[in-house]
Amino acid sequence: MTAYFARRLLFALVLVLVVSSAALLLTRLAPGDVTAQLGPFAAPEEVASARARLDLDRSPLAQWVLWLARAGRFDFGDSFLYNRPVRELVARAAGNTAILAVVALAAATALGIPLGIVSGSRSGPAASLIRAASLVCVSMPPLLTSLLFVFVAATTRWLPAGGMTSVEALDGRWSTWLADVALHLPLPALALALPIAATFERLQAQSIAEALQQPFVTAAAARGVPPREIVVRHAWSVSLGPICGVYGIAIGTLLSGSFVVEFVAAWPGLGRLTYEALRARDIYLVAGCAATGGLMLAVGMMIGDLLLAAADPRVRERPAG
Amino acid sequence: MLRLWPAEAPTSPPVRRGGQIVASIRAEPRSFNRFVSRDQSTELLTMLTQGRLVRINRATFELEPWLAESWESSADGRTHTLHLRPGVTWSDGAPFTSADVLFSLQAVFDPKTQSVVADTLRIGGQPITAKAPDAQTVVLTYAVPSGPGVRLLDNLPILPKHKLEGALAAGAFASAWNNTTPPSEIVGTGPFVLREYQAGQRVVLDRNPRYWRRAPDGGVLPYLDRIVLAIVPEQNAELLRLQAGELDLTSSELRPEDYVPVRDAEEQGRLRMIELGVGTDADAFWFCLKPEAKARDPRFAFVQRPEFRQAISHAIDREAFVNTAYLGAAVPVWGPVTPGNVQWFWSDVPRYLHDDTKARAMLYDIGLEDRNQNGILDNPSLVEARFTVLTQRGISWYERGTAVLREELAKIGIAVDIVPLEFGALIQRLLACDYDAMYYRPVVTDLDPAGNLDFWLSSGSAHFWNIGQRTPATDWERRIDTLMLEMAASLDPERRRQQFNLVQQIFAENLPVLYFAAPRLYYAHSTRLRGVVPSVQRPPVLWNADSLSVTN
Repeated sequence: MTAYFARRLLFALVLVLVVSSAALLLTRLAPGDVTAQLGPFAAPEEVASARARLDLDRSPLAQWVLWLARAGRFDFGDSFLYNRPVRELVARAAGNTAILAVVALAAATALGIPLGIVSGSRSGPAASLIRAASLVCVSMPPLLTSLLFVFVAATTRWLPAGGMTSVEALDGRWSTWLADVALHLPLPALALALPIAATFERLQAQSIAEALQQPFVTAAAARGVPPREIVVRHAWSVSLGPICGVYGIAIGTLLSGSFVVEFVAAWPGLGRLTYEALRARDIYLVAGCAATGGLMLAVGMMIGDLLLAAADPRVRERPAG
Repeated sequence: MLRLWPAEAPTSPPVRRGGQIVASIRAEPRSFNRFVSRDQSTELLTMLTQGRLVRINRATFELEPWLAESWESSADGRTHTLHLRPGVTWSDGAPFTSADVLFSLQAVFDPKTQSVVADTLRIGGQPITAKAPDAQTVVLTYAVPSGPGVRLLDNLPILPKHKLEGALAAGAFASAWNNTTPPSEIVGTGPFVLREYQAGQRVVLDRNPRYWRRAPDGGVLPYLDRIVLAIVPEQNAELLRLQAGELDLTSSELRPEDYVPVRDAEEQGRLRMIELGVGTDADAFWFCLKPEAKARDPRFAFVQRPEFRQAISHAIDREAFVNTAYLGAAVPVWGPVTPGNVQWFWSDVPRYLHDDTKARAMLYDIGLEDRNQNGILDNPSLVEARFTVLTQRGISWYERGTAVLREELAKIGIAVDIVPLEFGALIQRLLACDYDAMYYRPVVTDLDPAGNLDFWLSSGSAHFWNIGQRTPATDWERRIDTLMLEMAASLDPERRRQQFNLVQQIFAENLPVLYFAAPRLYYAHSTRLRGVVPSVQRPPVLWNADSLSVTN
């Protein structure tokens, strides 16, 4: 198990390094740079000073080496766009995205798994309806889903149409803040969760349908085990493997989906920060966001692996190495 | 047909004091120090929290006394004596004096500050010098006479010496009052004070209880207790939140495609829609005219001829352009100064009426005809009149505008390929003159042409068809240089106007940049907002924040 964790940790480090370095170099090599934010006709001295401050006057390789050396000391440089250290910006945004991602993943699991069990183990109009709804949700782009939810919230006024907290919570206590965040969460969380819930539903449905064809299910039925118990106690645990396997990927989907959802719903998270950094070519912020995203993805994949190991004894018993 | 409310109902109820409004901003403020940051959010925050010596009224464009209650100018226009308003204090209670004005000028011109405001305050390339005979008087001396006179001072927020002199002395003024500074440290003479900044979410401003300005009834201003600036990056979501009543104001004017849903919301009594007027900026279309960059381009021989660009101007049906690119909400224009700039717009500027036949004839006269019958004009060496037009990606009216351009030019045999680019890439190509033609809307930095010398002078950094010339590339640019420098230094308003009209005429005859339409700007706000005086300049409503109030 120690070797397994060491391997996963090494993988996470390599992932973070590769992703952030690639982000830095690609941002540097793309046409234009962040000094365009000074306006088309900024004074040349002002542009030169900003470029020097961001090491854009060095070669891409020299800039990367310098950044890497500083990153080793947990100094990821300053954001030009926000005029603050990247570390500070990314830490705050990652925390907000983590809140959103955990709730979205929980919602996707709570919706997708039970519906998948129903649609995979039964036939009839209910199963068809679930399948159709899943197809719609999978094919809806996050931009459309989030705008739709903002529209519904704006029209019905059941929920706030954006943001993470409201002004009314400014002077409140910790509990008031928490309640306020909880009120703002459903909109972006559902926009993120729906496509993942639909994926879970489709996977769970196929997986449980396959499990129900297994000989041990036939044997259980022959022993007189009630059908509901066969599905829940026997077939479901066997069918969980593919779901656990895609948990890591689901976290990646959450991160990419959060680009748009956080932007539309004005949620101050990592996705929105990355999107704004990319649009402005804010080079160190792009690299910092990519490193954090890579780290979150690695952690997500590790959680997925652990869940898979918990669900499937064959994975647990596989020799390390 | 748009139904519009007047800016203020004629029978307004008595103004209610108190309450808060929520306005949106599209991005975070980069700093709370306007001297070092030019982004819109910082500019808005400065407008709300800091005072200036004089103010240009954004609705009338007239100069108004502000922290300086009066002034006298010398006959040669170089010396201005300003008398400061007595009894004004900073929001922390410290008295506002001439020492603060001197300090602000010292800070803005300090090389270590690298101020983004400094260039707008240099006259004849020299900084303004200042002295203070007493605590209530400031004497400013300009290196050369300046036509705009004290109007320039609208660009200078006055910052508190007692809070920032340490930073200036330590050479750290550029990083002072950044967006991590505690709000209690940021003091001002503006109507509001910073209460809280929640990164990624909002900026909260409370009324400044020591604000100096009084309402017409003698009561204290501002009327509002609080302004919340919510950070809403996405424009569709911003509009939805406005319609839901979560926002009272948005950061900018409406897009043409938003007029219909906003009008519907207005009919339901949820919003009020107002016309701000004709915008002061128009979309521009131009070719790179830098000879050094285009020496090897065989098309440059005809592109550099004014007749070629005049023919293009004739080929564009501006009415169709207005209807397609702006969905009808625009007016045709023939020059960079739009009817929105009421002081400097010249209605007699030469016009090129839509006439394809005339356009074709003009092109024929300079040797362009369809020699190989493929529908595209060629010169005698069979070089085609085909161009790539760069524009900014994701701006709907640019996409529609360039589509009209392509169709209209195809009718006279000029082929155009449209390439939308990300903003950064577009600017890089623009500065390097690495393009055939470009379609973009450069923003006018000052309504007085003397404040836009970087555009008019051939050496200017915003002379975008041929940036930063050592000596004028053409005779007509040399003539414009001479006229603009005279105009900028002239103290006679009528002479300034005549000289600038002549500049507009020369510009229209040579057409280095073509303008087709200037948008009519519309704006929406909540129905509970009172005291709105709309402006075509940004911020359209919050420029007058001390006089805004709400009904409930």
